[in-house]
This record gives sequence, C-alpha cells and structure tokens, in this order.
Amino acid sequence: MPLYICNATQGTIDDEHKQAIAKDITRIHCDVTGAPPQFVHTFFFEDAPTPPLDGKSASLFGSIRAGRTDEQKKEIIDSMTESIHRHAGVALDDINAITSDIPASWVMEGGDIFPEPGEEAEWLEKHEAKHAAEVK
Amino acid sequence: MTPCNCIVQEGQVSAALEARLRSGLNELAVRAFGSEAEITWRVVPRGNGFTAGEPTKASVVSFRAHEPLAQSRREEVLRELCDFWIGETGCSVDELVGVVSDPQQA
Repeated sequence: MPLYICNATQGTIDDEHKQAIAKDITRIHCDVTGAPPQFVHTFFFEDAPTPPLDGKSASLFGSIRAGRTDEQKKEIIDSMTESIHRHAGVALDDINAITSDIPASWVMEGGDIFPEPGEEAEWLEKHEAKHAAEVK
Repeated sequence: MTPCNCIVQEGQVSAALEARLRSGLNELAVRAFGSEAEITWRVVPRGNGFTAGEPTKASVVSFRAHEPLAQSRREEVLRELCDFWIGETGCSVDELVGVVSDPQQA
C-alpha cells in the first residue's frame, strides 16, 4: 500500500505513457506523505467495472493508509490528475480521482503488518534485518 | 459469502495455479470467517502493473470480514493468507500485499 488503480476507456492512455504516470504517482505520493517508493503500487485497467468511469475517460482510485490530512489528499488528487492530463492528453475535467483510507493494521506487506504513517523508516529497518537474518 | 478480491499480474498465474489458489482461499475463508469466498479475480494486463514506478510482479489479495476482528485474529488470518499464497505461487514475500478489512470498508 498505497494501491492506485487507474481505469480508462480503451486507448485513452497509451502503454508508453503508463510507466511515466506510474512514476509520477509514486513520486507524488512519496513527496506528499514521506512514504518510501517501494510501498507504492500502480495498476492500469481499461474499461474495467471498477473504479467506475461514470462517463469520464479516466478514473483513479487510491487506497492509502489512514492518517493523511485532507490537504495531503487534495494535493495527491490534484497532482496525479495533472499527471494523467499531461501524459495522456485527457482533459482535467474528464478525469475522476479519489482516495480511500485503509488502516495500516489491516495490511500485511513484506510479511509484516504495515507501519503507521511516519513509522516507515523503523519498519523498513526491522523488515530488512529480519529478511537478512532469514537469508543467512 | 466472504468477499475476496485478488489482483495478479498477467503471466504470473497459470490456470492450474489459479484453481489451486481459488480453492485454498475458499478453504481459508470458511475456516477464518465461516463462509465460502466470493472471489473477484482481476488480471493486470502485461506491462500495466508497477511498483515504485517499475514493472512489478506484485499481487494484492484482500478479504472483507463479516464482523470487526481483533487485531491478533486479523494478523493470524493475514499470516495464514500470505504463507498459503507464497507457498503456492513461489513469489517472494515482498511481492504480496494481503488485506483483511472489517465490514463496510474497502
């Protein structure tokens, strides 16, 4: 987590632009929240039932850890919408983007319960030490 | 039924493996939540999945419980889920995101 799912009508986002958008999504999420990039997953679908397009050409749904402020969420939504607009040429008002909070304690990644926002560095240190010990 | 959402990357899960995963997830749902899994299986098209902005092999598997879970119980279920999935797929521990949510939440 976070998990960003981008749904778009067929052909709206060229394959060549998807990685650029995924890189932007990663950078934006990390810049706004301080989360490490290896936590950020971005998946693209076309004409999928979810997230619903609701008449738009593209829809971005982000499942993010609870604890982010409304200002952080707005910055995430605005900046990621701008990225899709810039790379894919979709009008800003033709893109839906929302986030949904999920408690970190509900998520297991890397075999460990996910850290609360702000506790990532300690979590990563323990996680890497644990796996280094397992490899030995 | 226990809602269960699986997102995998194209080419990572064969039809035979998918059948084993579905069966195992169903058994886990019955043991953990008391009802069979209602599985939504989504495949991310090749070249459409990224972690840290790079092509990924990551899968996401989530269950939604019927009632709020104690955290200790949630962790037990998550560990069983991850052990099962990693054992069947051979993926690394860093290639799986497991989620067990309480009711009415994604």
